[in-house]
Amino acid sequence: MVERGERAKHGLIQLLLAINAVVMLYPLVVMVLSAFKSNAELFASPFALPESFAFTNAARVWNETSFVRYLLNSTLVTAAAIAGILVFGTMAAYAIARYPFPGRSAVFLFFLSGLMVPLKLAIIPLFIQLGAMGLIDTRAGLVLVYIAMGLPSAVFIMTGFLRTLPGELEESARIEGASEARVMLSIMLPLARPALVITGIQNAVPIWNDFFFPLVFITTDALKTLPQGLTVFMGEYNTDWGVLFAGLTLAALPITLVYIVLSRQFIAGMTQGAIK
Amino acid sequence: MGGKRIGRLVLAATAAWGLAASAARAGEITFWTWRQEDKAAYTELFNDFTKANPDIHVKFEAFAPENYATIVSAALAGGRGGDVLHVRAYGGLEQFAKAGYLMPLDPQTVPELANLPDDAKAAETLRADGKVYAVSFASQTLGLLINKDVFAKAGVQPPETWDQLLSVSRTLKDKGIIPIANGTATAWMDEVFTGIFTGPFLGTAFVQDILAGRATFEDPRYVAALGRLLELRDFLPPGYTGIDYATGQQLFLSGRAAMFAGGSFEIANFRKQNPKLALDFIAPPAPKAGEPRYVSKFYDGGYAVNAKAANKADATRLVRWMGTKEYGDKFSALLGNISPIKGVVIQDPLLAQVAKLNDVSMPYIMAVHFRYESPTGSELLQGAVQRMLAGNLTPQQVGAEVTQGIARYYVPFQKK
Amino acid sequence: MTAARRRAVWIAFLLAPALVVMTLFVAWPLLAAFRYAFYGFNGLAAAQFVGLQNFREVLTEAPFAAWTWRAFQHNVIVFTVLMVAQNGLAYLIAFALLKTLPGHRVHQVIVFLPVVLSAVIVGFLWKLFLHPLFGLVNQALLLVGIHGPPWLGDESTALGSIIFTNAWHWMGFPALIFLAGMQRISRETLEAARIDGATDRVLMTRIIWPLVAPSTTIVVILTFIGSFNWFELPYVMAGLSGSPGGATDVLGLYFYRTAFGNVSSGLQDFGHGSALAVLMFVFIAVVSALALRVLRRREIEA
Repeated sequence: MVERGERAKHGLIQLLLAINAVVMLYPLVVMVLSAFKSNAELFASPFALPESFAFTNAARVWNETSFVRYLLNSTLVTAAAIAGILVFGTMAAYAIARYPFPGRSAVFLFFLSGLMVPLKLAIIPLFIQLGAMGLIDTRAGLVLVYIAMGLPSAVFIMTGFLRTLPGELEESARIEGASEARVMLSIMLPLARPALVITGIQNAVPIWNDFFFPLVFITTDALKTLPQGLTVFMGEYNTDWGVLFAGLTLAALPITLVYIVLSRQFIAGMTQGAIK
Repeated sequence: MGGKRIGRLVLAATAAWGLAASAARAGEITFWTWRQEDKAAYTELFNDFTKANPDIHVKFEAFAPENYATIVSAALAGGRGGDVLHVRAYGGLEQFAKAGYLMPLDPQTVPELANLPDDAKAAETLRADGKVYAVSFASQTLGLLINKDVFAKAGVQPPETWDQLLSVSRTLKDKGIIPIANGTATAWMDEVFTGIFTGPFLGTAFVQDILAGRATFEDPRYVAALGRLLELRDFLPPGYTGIDYATGQQLFLSGRAAMFAGGSFEIANFRKQNPKLALDFIAPPAPKAGEPRYVSKFYDGGYAVNAKAANKADATRLVRWMGTKEYGDKFSALLGNISPIKGVVIQDPLLAQVAKLNDVSMPYIMAVHFRYESPTGSELLQGAVQRMLAGNLTPQQVGAEVTQGIARYYVPFQKK
Repeated sequence: MTAARRRAVWIAFLLAPALVVMTLFVAWPLLAAFRYAFYGFNGLAAAQFVGLQNFREVLTEAPFAAWTWRAFQHNVIVFTVLMVAQNGLAYLIAFALLKTLPGHRVHQVIVFLPVVLSAVIVGFLWKLFLHPLFGLVNQALLLVGIHGPPWLGDESTALGSIIFTNAWHWMGFPALIFLAGMQRISRETLEAARIDGATDRVLMTRIIWPLVAPSTTIVVILTFIGSFNWFELPYVMAGLSGSPGGATDVLGLYFYRTAFGNVSSGLQDFGHGSALAVLMFVFIAVVSALALRVLRRREIEA
């Protein structure tokens, strides 16, 4: 009896997951199909197969933008920003989560406050600030802004996870004479890998897709990021949606692959089971 | 943890940034615009300019239109930005001019201002100091775009009176054609829609009364004109409250709809998307046969000189050239827009026809007169008409909401 | 150097880089922008100090006060619905994934895929699905005899439609946070509960739920802040003015179009725009600080 009930329940869960998978995946199929359509086709029969699978739109992306150059810039900017966010964010979060020190809550709230208002508001002071530092129209300026923008959520998420790690491991390592840095790097952080993945992905996606900050800070074509470069297809009275879809679908590929690779961290965590 | 790898990445990235600096070439000025789609035309125009002024090269830099104002205001506040800037007109111009970001153009340094009609100059004038800050580039006319093939196939004629509009629409609808392609989901199109169809019912007399403080938007003439719009709801696409601007355009372009209430700026856009389209542009229908069919008209914007431009002399030369007949002729021919410069000859027959319609025109009232302070007449009207066409507000309520909002800063409305 | 001293230097070293970057590129510019809230403007240039006038106007004077209040109410709805629908479903999915049934790896990737897409694409895609003329949603409803509304064009369904799209786009994220929290529960705890005869329901509500409290804290706070800063998706799907008729207007849109102007209707008004942003900031900061205290206490109790 128990067996049968169990199997039925598993079946139900599988069904739930399957329905979820369809709802999640079907729009993505439509997205890919749309990349092959013209505006006229997109608005006449958005869900049908495209009239042809010719790479007209992709060709326009290729010919009318410096696609490879933009892709390279986006990769560089996103990678540098994520590296900065993870390194600086984890360091700060570790201090907040694992050491009692005066002003700890104040520091934590200072970081958190960076999340509470859209940084777009500060675009003009930010522009002036970057200008004063000679960072307008440079990728470095963009990276620094992204790091600053990502730190609040990184510190918040990482602190949340690091706080809950058991103290015994840490203590026994200390007793064995390990330095604080060693405790952090080789004992505690490996346990926080899923949290690092979450933080990385949560920040990488908006940075990878952002076109607002590059539009304001970058004017040199050779320094443009991919989403920024693709806004050239957004006209005043007409946007080339098909071309935009082709460009943005291509842009989604690398980050999807990165996620699939990183998601192993999770699966590893699951099969390795409990951390006591 | 791959710390070393990350470190190496950061180093490599830092090295790459060093290559970023780009110095502007001597004799090069930049032109900033939101018209990304006009790159080819401007490149050609600027080549002409450089031929006449071999020492000046113009670099075209275009930005996403919806973010253009934000980008430009950040850059100007930081003392940067293009040397010559594409700017909007009326209130949109004033906020930049008031802050001292633009260089005033006077008739001595820019004698070409004399080539522009008064209302074009007024559109680019800061009311506080009476100075002109930009050379106007195009006027836009609002009216009805007609798909001639669809009309011919349905055996109907473009409407000249309101009653004809209703009967033609009825016939079209009975034949399974959407009479008017517009939906109401995109807010700014609701103002366009209102301007087009209420214009002939209001005329220039009403605008004079509003400006003289003799009438408000609660005036029976205005309320009645808004009420007329409700008669058109039957002839909009099914589910029109969910039809946005892009869908409306495509319905018209594909021939599923016969008319599109829009601006002359659509002509070039529509032709590019569907070169085979048999396009006509007519004035909105008159209340009764023989009465004037007012189109609404406004100026799109102009070319201004950045007050912080490194080389104002060169920038001024470019702007002066953009005020010549030579420029206007070629601009109109290449971009399918109506240059306001006096004596410009428009070759394209349809565009010439639109220019002719401007003889019986009235100002596009909210954009021209009530976009100087918040809340603007435009944002008030757009939201209210959107709700009215959905059946959630009456014309009286729309008139009252708009009047009360504008009364915040427009004294004549305050005593009412 | 004493041990305590060494410890202090180590902590300072950990905190310094993040603090410097945050101060230079977030805190300082934001404070500078907040200052605008106390100024009257001459076009785009700050002119004279006006004290609290901008605040008074956006909070009490027509028509701004009505817009502020309307937007705020919409944000409350967004937060509530996302908490229940998006995060509730995310919890269920995380639980289902925890069971490591056949195919769980694939499902884990799938549930997260939409998260990587840009809001421009997601917004446009769902506009197509919800389209009144050719939208699949209404065509499917027609099969069972229901005439669907023009979802995004109807004042009563527009906000809900965008919230739904947001849930579709982002659900993978809370699911992953919950999953990460669930993985940390020891196998023994779960086994012991099972042996005691706990059903899945009991497991989900009584055993796991209290133990994933740290994850819940993160999800609740991020959802709260995200809901009150909501901008991109409503911008893509309903436009800067919150069509139709303000039915989808939220504080993010309202603040942005007030400060930076709507090209086709408005002006840039930094004074009122910054005042709105300061109000948003104060509200979010106070509520999240309080919520954090409550949620943290809950973690300790569990």
